Amino acid sequence: MRLLLVEDHVPLADELLAGLTRLGYAVDWLADGRDALYQGQSEPYDLIILDLGLPGISGLDVLKQWRAQGLATPVLILTARSSWSERIDGLKAGADDYVTKPFHPEELQLRVQALLRRAHGQPNQPLLKCAGLHLDEARQCVINDGAEVQLTAAEFRLLRYFMLHPQQILSKSHLAEHLYDGETERDSNVLEVHVNHLRRKLGRAVIETRRGQGYIFGAGAQ
Amino acid sequence: MRSIQRRLSLGLVSVLLIAGLVVGQVSLWLFETGLQRYLESGLQNESENLLIALSRGPQGLQLDERRLSPAYQRPFSGHYFSIEFGDTHWRSRSLWDAQLPRPSQPGLDSVLQPGPEGQMLLVLRSDYQRLGQAVSISVAQDYTPIRDSFKQVQRIGLGMGVLALIVVLLLQRVTVRRALRPLETARKQIAQLQAGQRSQLDAQVPLELEPLVTQINHLLAHTEDNLKRSRNALGNLGHALKTPLAVLISLANDPRLAAYPQIQNTLREQLEQIQQRMGRELNRARLAGDALPGAQFDADAELPGLLSTLGMIHGEHLELVLKAAPGLHLPWDREDMLEMLGNLLDNACKWADAQVELSLNQTPDGYVIEVQDDGPGIPEGERDQVFSRGTRLDEQTSGHGLGLGIVRDIVDAWGGEMQLETGALGGLLVRIKLPGRTQKATTA
Repeated sequence: MRLLLVEDHVPLADELLAGLTRLGYAVDWLADGRDALYQGQSEPYDLIILDLGLPGISGLDVLKQWRAQGLATPVLILTARSSWSERIDGLKAGADDYVTKPFHPEELQLRVQALLRRAHGQPNQPLLKCAGLHLDEARQCVINDGAEVQLTAAEFRLLRYFMLHPQQILSKSHLAEHLYDGETERDSNVLEVHVNHLRRKLGRAVIETRRGQGYIFGAGAQ
Repeated sequence: MRSIQRRLSLGLVSVLLIAGLVVGQVSLWLFETGLQRYLESGLQNESENLLIALSRGPQGLQLDERRLSPAYQRPFSGHYFSIEFGDTHWRSRSLWDAQLPRPSQPGLDSVLQPGPEGQMLLVLRSDYQRLGQAVSISVAQDYTPIRDSFKQVQRIGLGMGVLALIVVLLLQRVTVRRALRPLETARKQIAQLQAGQRSQLDAQVPLELEPLVTQINHLLAHTEDNLKRSRNALGNLGHALKTPLAVLISLANDPRLAAYPQIQNTLREQLEQIQQRMGRELNRARLAGDALPGAQFDADAELPGLLSTLGMIHGEHLELVLKAAPGLHLPWDREDMLEMLGNLLDNACKWADAQVELSLNQTPDGYVIEVQDDGPGIPEGERDQVFSRGTRLDEQTSGHGLGLGIVRDIVDAWGGEMQLETGALGGLLVRIKLPGRTQKATTA
């Protein structure tokens, strides 16, 4: 899952970056409204966390322009403006959730998780369930037929992405775009290695390869 | 306050009454004086005629009856004389057996003298020397008919005066009403302003009212501007404080502090307190209160947005029911009202299992707002705590909401009442009664 964090307060952005990265999200960080306006549309983000008080253009205007240009990415507003009239304005501008500062880090993390699931049509429950697998996002492990299987950070990120996009053909470049932030070197061989590790741990049928197209998750389960 | 209309009428009536009476009396008096002078010259002629009628007879002076006016012969005719010289005293036959009082000095007697048959007599005494003898002739004329006609003139004048007064008053009423029409228009507009039906007074007014209307409009704009500016400043202050606070809260939860649980706990508690206090005070400072008379909350326009925002924040499993008459307008600031309803509903959503109900009703005394949920409610014994200790209960349960404390601040600022009860859905029912502002304005 690749996230865009738009926040101009550097210490807070550092904290958020550290927390979100720990949870296995690839996060790009921007501090200026104008950069965010451009990059939010040019890169395939799965979710955007947007501060409203930004230099350049205000967050609310950025959001309005995104929505006017047809950007459908879920947006979570993160702001110190906590009055209800401002919350309603945020929703009307096209936000999907609204978190007011100061907040507890876990609260934001749970909201991000819930919003991602909602965007992919998954119910909001403790475990992410798909194709007979139960993924525990808090502990970064998966339960397969009652047996708990430990995952590395990279495997967890890959499996979560697959489980949120079941029965979809995902090319290697698509996966790389959504699993790594803008500054990481993308090597498709590394992806193949992680897919093989997942197959070894969870069974070959879980991820099929479509030659020349990419991978498909959970196709055999249905 | 007394009305201008009544004050003007009273002033006009008293001025007209005083002026009318003075002018009427003075002109009557002048006329009467003139008339008496004319009568005096008539009496003077009479006395001279009498003097000529006195001639030398065989026994001294004698009166030539033929030369006397017949009015002196007819009893009580209203014309009398008496002539005195030496010891002799002659009276006209018309006096019959009455006496003509003799004025103490010559000239017209300033006082009317009583005569026979209830007549009032104007008496003139003239002293002459006739044939070597001092002769004093008093001539009198009955003044009653003249007095009666004066009385009649007075009555007619009074009646006409009263009639004129009524006509003048009616005309004045019409004129004043016409002249005060712009004031009446301004008064109605101010009432509309209070009821929230307009935000400015009409600037097309007469010259005399213009400064007042301009000043009111200026004050309105100024208040609105001030409110906007202070809200903006508070927003900025909040932003400046809350962002670093978010960093601190995040740091307090840092795994590196896990080795020092006591420090971590103290940090968390203190940060929590700062957050509570700041949130409450910033919210309280944002309240517009009664500052803007033109402010209005349009329930139809604002509530769907609020409910969908709440739905977004609390998830889709909650059913939010709205019971409000269509077209309901509440005469309070939009942001304050949203803040109050938002916090009430947010609190209800936190506790509800599946359903939250909001109802807005207009009553003869004002408005009643009810919010209830199907959650566990608050036991009766603890309800007082919510009021007596402000946010206490709320702080314990929600951790970061300021909910009912802020609601209470707003309700207090508006002079309303807030009650906690058990609702029909089984959970907490918060009932808020707000006084209608239009009524306050018209009775004030």
